[in-house]
Amino acid sequence: MPEADQAFVTLATSDAYCMGSLVVGKCLRKHGTTRKLVVMVSPNISREARLSLEDVFDEVIVVDILDSRDRAHLFWLGRPDLGVTFTKLHCWTLTQYTKCVFLDADTLVLCNVDELFEREELSAAPDPGWPDCFNSGVFVFRPSLETHSRLLEHAKMCGSFDGGDQGLLNAFFSDWAIKDINKHLPFIYNLSTSAVYTYLPAFHKYGHQAKIVHFLGKNKPWHVPYKQQPSTEVTQWDSNRILEQYVNLWWAEYYAHTKTHVDEPDERHDSEPIDQLGTLAAAPCSTQVTTSPHRSQPTATSPTAPFPHSRESLFQAKDREEKIPSESLGKLTVNVPSSSTCHQLEDMCSTPDIVSAADPEDLEKSELQEPLVEQKQLEDVSGAESALSEATPDNCSTPDIVSAADPEDLEKSELQEPLVEQKQLEDVSGAESALSEATPDNATMEASKENLEHRKRWEEGHIDYLGKDAFENIRIKLDQFLK
Amino acid sequence: MHQQVSLGGGRKLENPEETMWTQGEHENPFRENTKLRICNNNNNNNNSSSLVQEHSCNSCCPASQVVQSVIDWRRCVRCCVTARGQDAVAAGMPLARSISVTSLSGLEEWDEEFDLEDAVLFEIAWEVANKVGGIYTVIQTKARLTCEEWGENYFLVGPYTESNVRTQVELIEPPNAALRRTIDKMNSSGCKVYFGRWLIEGSPYVILLDVGFTAWSLDRWKSELWENCSIGVPWFDREANDAVLFGFLTAWLLGEYAAQCEDPPHILAHFHEWLAGLGLVLCRQRHLPVATIFTTHATLLGRYLCAGNVDFYNNLAEFNVDKEAGDRQIYHRYCLERAAARCAHVFTTVSKITAIEAEHLLKRKPDIVTPNGLNVKKFSAMHEFQNLHAQSKARIQEFIRGHFYGHLDFNLDKTVFLFIAGRYEFSNKGADIFLEALARLNYLLRVNHSQVTVIAFFIMPARTNNFNVETLKGQAVRKQLWDTAQTVKERFGKKLYESLLVGQLPEVSKMLDKEDFTMMKRAIFATQRQCLPPICTHNMLEDSTDPILTAIRRIGLFNSAQDRVKVIFHPEFLSSTSPLLPMDYEEFVRGCHLGVFPSYYEPWGYTPAECTVMGIPSVSTNLSGFGCFMEEHIADPSSYGIYILDRRFRSVDESCNQLTSFLFQFCQQSRRQRIIQRNRTERLSDLLDWRYLGRYYVAARHMALAKAFPESYVYEPHDPTSTTGFRYPRPASVPPSPAHSLHSSPHHSEAEDEDETYDEDLEAEKDRLNIRQPYSLPNKNKSLAVDLPEKN
Repeated sequence: MPEADQAFVTLATSDAYCMGSLVVGKCLRKHGTTRKLVVMVSPNISREARLSLEDVFDEVIVVDILDSRDRAHLFWLGRPDLGVTFTKLHCWTLTQYTKCVFLDADTLVLCNVDELFEREELSAAPDPGWPDCFNSGVFVFRPSLETHSRLLEHAKMCGSFDGGDQGLLNAFFSDWAIKDINKHLPFIYNLSTSAVYTYLPAFHKYGHQAKIVHFLGKNKPWHVPYKQQPSTEVTQWDSNRILEQYVNLWWAEYYAHTKTHVDEPDERHDSEPIDQLGTLAAAPCSTQVTTSPHRSQPTATSPTAPFPHSRESLFQAKDREEKIPSESLGKLTVNVPSSSTCHQLEDMCSTPDIVSAADPEDLEKSELQEPLVEQKQLEDVSGAESALSEATPDNCSTPDIVSAADPEDLEKSELQEPLVEQKQLEDVSGAESALSEATPDNATMEASKENLEHRKRWEEGHIDYLGKDAFENIRIKLDQFLK
Repeated sequence: MHQQVSLGGGRKLENPEETMWTQGEHENPFRENTKLRICNNNNNNNNSSSLVQEHSCNSCCPASQVVQSVIDWRRCVRCCVTARGQDAVAAGMPLARSISVTSLSGLEEWDEEFDLEDAVLFEIAWEVANKVGGIYTVIQTKARLTCEEWGENYFLVGPYTESNVRTQVELIEPPNAALRRTIDKMNSSGCKVYFGRWLIEGSPYVILLDVGFTAWSLDRWKSELWENCSIGVPWFDREANDAVLFGFLTAWLLGEYAAQCEDPPHILAHFHEWLAGLGLVLCRQRHLPVATIFTTHATLLGRYLCAGNVDFYNNLAEFNVDKEAGDRQIYHRYCLERAAARCAHVFTTVSKITAIEAEHLLKRKPDIVTPNGLNVKKFSAMHEFQNLHAQSKARIQEFIRGHFYGHLDFNLDKTVFLFIAGRYEFSNKGADIFLEALARLNYLLRVNHSQVTVIAFFIMPARTNNFNVETLKGQAVRKQLWDTAQTVKERFGKKLYESLLVGQLPEVSKMLDKEDFTMMKRAIFATQRQCLPPICTHNMLEDSTDPILTAIRRIGLFNSAQDRVKVIFHPEFLSSTSPLLPMDYEEFVRGCHLGVFPSYYEPWGYTPAECTVMGIPSVSTNLSGFGCFMEEHIADPSSYGIYILDRRFRSVDESCNQLTSFLFQFCQQSRRQRIIQRNRTERLSDLLDWRYLGRYYVAARHMALAKAFPESYVYEPHDPTSTTGFRYPRPASVPPSPAHSLHSSPHHSEAEDEDETYDEDLEAEKDRLNIRQPYSLPNKNKSLAVDLPEKN
């Protein structure tokens, strides 16, 4: 494939940023990218976070902050403050690819953006604060060790005017502002959330075209609690609300196939504004939204939401190889200008309740699946449910952990095509037996997951000091190495 | 008697009697105090016992002395004192009775077997070059001695903070090749290690680890900790997370150092407090060739329990420690501390009382007690400290003259200054019991028509709005009087001079003219005062709820004229730039007569130790490390100015009586007796010098080396915590019975008993021999131990 040497690259330097990277990866997969997905992580990332990234990304590359490359090493010793900057510059060393698109972990991809690979190095969108500088949250580049070392050299000589990577890159690619307009990415490829309130009318005019949203600033979506149900006043067009909706969309993506159940049945069919249809008419996948009866489906589906995941694992196990053709099929469906994303965004701007559906799974289903399929699925669901609830009892209780234990959840987003779904459905009856076979394998996973849970309870200060965490047990553990 | 009473903040009470005790109130004067101590007799009901004592009062005291109108249980204290003859004996200070200091049993042979040539000592603490609390003082003062012993092989390990390094550390290259490689290796693997000299006495080497810089490893290390020890650390406890980073860094350092030495020396690592303790656990877990010592200066749980008004010592054995720690949200810290205590080759605490605490709360009996010392400053002149006392006392007297202007009806030369100082922990520091004892002392002094006035200072910082006007005015008035006197003196001198010039003897009646008298009268009128001298020197923010002021209101010590005990509460640290009392803490202590520290929870207690080295007697308790230590090493502590209050085996009321009798005895001492007592106190400073106390650390280190490297070192166990008899009993010439000491009882006059023999030089020499074993470097000079006097 011609695209095998091209990749989306993101970076996670802490466990929190891993959440962001995960969302970036999931979204790209969901929107059917044909390029490789690469995430660079620093060594401090916990094993669990790394494992969950491995499920989404083709490559998880650990970049040591202290690279062995001499130049970097020497330089770095002199200027420790630029350590994190350096980590980002590592992307130029990914020479197994010819061209890459870098996406910050705090971005949210709303639709397929593979067309970015038609751009040249260094293409980027203007920064909202100083439009003659580009924002380094999204940029196209060509990996090259030479560029990398020149960048380091430059950093050594001149430093970074803002102390971060953006200052360094702007100083290095200093002709970006004037030389070649083709290297100016449209703002919709790096829509800063700050633009929502700095220029609200423009946002209203163009916001729905956005392809990548960038959560600039201190408050990252993972810092903000996920609101299942946003406030109900639809009429108020206030920037905070819009931001809140983006954040909710982010969380919806994050929880996609991680979250196993939805507590509240959603009522999206109640408040569907009519003017939305006008925009949607442009979308080729108009079938998605044609009628409200199908939209009411999720209400019924939600209690059994865990079901598809496990089915998926089965599917994946069998059909890894078959996935690629079906993916390209998916691309056909999805990779059309202003497709489902446009729809989502539109939803978001006008009817927050739709976003509040919270479970993107439902969204996808209603958008992408044939009504027939859904109904059929429903019928089967009840049968398989009991087996599932036995097999994965923990999924329900710990929705917020993206753990190694359920990798199948993470890849779910790859598979959206009705075709696939249908195929899956045919296998449903077989799923039960396959699941019960998988249980022994799960035992170790269960154990490690429990271990993880246990540690997490300590981390949160909920220690069972009168029970299994009594010092007596710790003493036994200590005595193992004392003797 | 409607006097205006001024408490802190110029607060005036119209009717002080209302705040005084009424009968209903004093039925149980300790009703707020939940800490009922172990009580051996039937003193549980104060009311009934006070009635019983009342009865015995009438039988032994002249009826006239008993104020019938007020049934005040305080008056019975007097009977208690006389009844409790042994207290009076303990508190009295027979001059001829000499000496009963012991030296430590069995320690003198310890040093010789150990060859430290190929041993290296790392001492690890969070407060190395980083002042947070008291551990800093311990480490900083001890460094000189340890440096002398270990020389180039001694390294302190602490956290790196830029501000501290800038002010206290000179960064240099490590002189030791293996160490240089270690540090280079670590620096190239993503941490920051600094090496330098700590600019304190002895200028030891320090290795400083930048904890924040390695924060990126936190999660990995916490996982490792979890895997190996099943201890997790909540993310919100920043201090504990720092402890994790610091622990892993120290373990890394030690491991790397062991690996970098071609011929690995015997590495000895001494960890202080829980913040450093994790490094120890990791050393053991990784099986590093390191001998480990863990020292706690107090236990985490003990601190928390005592802060929470728990009857601590009586229930020590019964606490469900896991539950108590968990309920107080410190379970993870407690686990780290206890794990370190569990894993250490040698576990030590700073005092006997903390050893008991640790045994119950950390479930390990300390192997040895390592008391804290001081670096004693020696004056070249013999009795310089006495001169300093006189100078400082004069300055305190000046302050008192101003503070009590208009009420200076007492003789400043017969005024005794007491003080309590420390963190403002009302009951942990024993301010409650001190106030109570002052009230009783006031009564005793009044009924005995004592000439002595007692002024008690409370130096405990609290929240204030600066000085109050009345106190400042006092100093201004004093200044004005001084100026007036100077002016008159000038004029007087001029007239005298002129008169002499013309060859006439001055005519006394003409020396002062009318104008002078007017000026003086005006000045005298200015000293009139409508209110009582203030209790508190500052405007308190929480005046009405402040525990000291509340207690003072309750016991009614309002600095009125008839009170023999006056109280001054200075809720701020002393400073030599203060407009009120321009002295620093050391000067102030030197000027006082007695420090009173009746603490309930005090693992070591530097305050009484500081008093001692300045030659100021002090009261401490057998619940404080200092008190325990002194009790153990001196047969008759009170004659050395070390009064040790029993708060462990007596009820609060009994302890209070005991303190009252101590104070009363102290007040009865003549000036000469006090001077002699100060001399004796000052002589004890040798006992508190690191040169002497350092040997416990030496012993602990040898113990650890022998345990970790049994093939190279042998340690013969002694039992250092038991005092196997005093090796220097009292001289036969001194009668052991209390009869002799009755001379210093309350009725003892100012006149000296000439038959009491006191030869200071002789006594001092004897003490010196008893206390001081010349400290010898372990691998040299074995002959020095021979200098010891033979046993009786």
